[in-house]
Amino acid sequence: MTGKDIFKITLNLVIVYLIGGFILAFVYANASPRVFRNNEEAEKKALKELMPDAETNEKRDWTIHDKHAKYFIMKKGGDTIGYVIQSFGKGYSSYINTFIATDKDFKVQKINILGHGETPGLGDEIELDYFKDRLKGKDIDHLKVLKTETTEYVEAISGATISSRAVTEDAVKNGVSFLIKTVKEGGNADVKQQQH
Amino acid sequence: MSSSSNINLKELFLNGIIKENTIFKLALSLCPSIAVTNNLKNGIFMGAAVLFVQVMVNITISLMRNIIEPKVRLPIFMLVISGWVTVTQLMMAAFAPDVYAKVGLYIALIVAFASILARAEMFASKNTFVPSMVDGVGMGIGFLFALTVISFFRELVGKGTLTVPTGMATQHVFTLINTKPVLLMVLPAGGFLAVGILMALFNWINAWYAAKVAR
Repeated sequence: MTGKDIFKITLNLVIVYLIGGFILAFVYANASPRVFRNNEEAEKKALKELMPDAETNEKRDWTIHDKHAKYFIMKKGGDTIGYVIQSFGKGYSSYINTFIATDKDFKVQKINILGHGETPGLGDEIELDYFKDRLKGKDIDHLKVLKTETTEYVEAISGATISSRAVTEDAVKNGVSFLIKTVKEGGNADVKQQQH
Repeated sequence: MSSSSNINLKELFLNGIIKENTIFKLALSLCPSIAVTNNLKNGIFMGAAVLFVQVMVNITISLMRNIIEPKVRLPIFMLVISGWVTVTQLMMAAFAPDVYAKVGLYIALIVAFASILARAEMFASKNTFVPSMVDGVGMGIGFLFALTVISFFRELVGKGTLTVPTGMATQHVFTLINTKPVLLMVLPAGGFLAVGILMALFNWINAWYAAKVAR
């Protein structure tokens, strides 16, 4: 191989990769604002689905796993009727982005999985209603995954214990305990009154 | 370079489905055939995503074949594959978020599939546009067929249900015969068993058919 060959091959590779890079940059620049808007809309829809009765909400921020997350104090006619909190759980192969709706006694009403990268066919069953329903009505002491059949606690998805734990004991439990701590320690006077 | 005139397109199309079926004959891309075939919906979505990327990569490589330096062809193939995967993912997330929510997980996995690189290397880099496209469609459909069969078998035996692409699952068929499904089949180990059994069956049918034709 002569010096000329090496130069030719290098140039060929560099040019093809540069073109490829430009195409990707162009597509990304066009797609990402739309992706952002789609996510915002998905969030709005998720809030409506989680707590259809709420008329207005107050949006606040918190962090979990060094990630920025939000929580909402859901109100109807000036009264707090519950909370919706976004939380992340460290799963088998991804952070699971979860929205949790609780009533004002911090019992889980409904959860929604907005995004995750768990194994298709096993871990991704956390998205299905049959699993999400297992968390319904649980307070913080009952957010625990068991591998056996149970209704008092949360039964794991067979073949996906790690993903089940990530949702229940990481995302949801941390979210709920944050709500209890923040709200009880007086994040909001209005909320405090409702507690006692 | 072989010209398109002396290639039988129909034969080329069937080649990917039967004679050189990616999974059952070439035994390539066995990871997805085990990892994502534990329910029917996953098998079909994964297969469809591969079909699309395979066709696009074959077309691109066949168009680029004269400007690629043979010594650096593999990194260039990888760029084309990962480029198409990324573009597909971004466009889908932007313009079809509902579809993306369902198949987004599968698309990112395709970058690592041997079958796509193999077709780019063995076929598209030596052939013109039309045969490369037909080869891509044939190979992709062969892959889709294999994943559909495997996932159908695994979900039916392992869970007793069948999940169709809309996300609906059928009733538990095992309640009818009053027994429990073989959970092993939907776990990773069951994937090896299922692929092995179905591969043997596919080859047995092929051999039987060939013998019948010869007679």
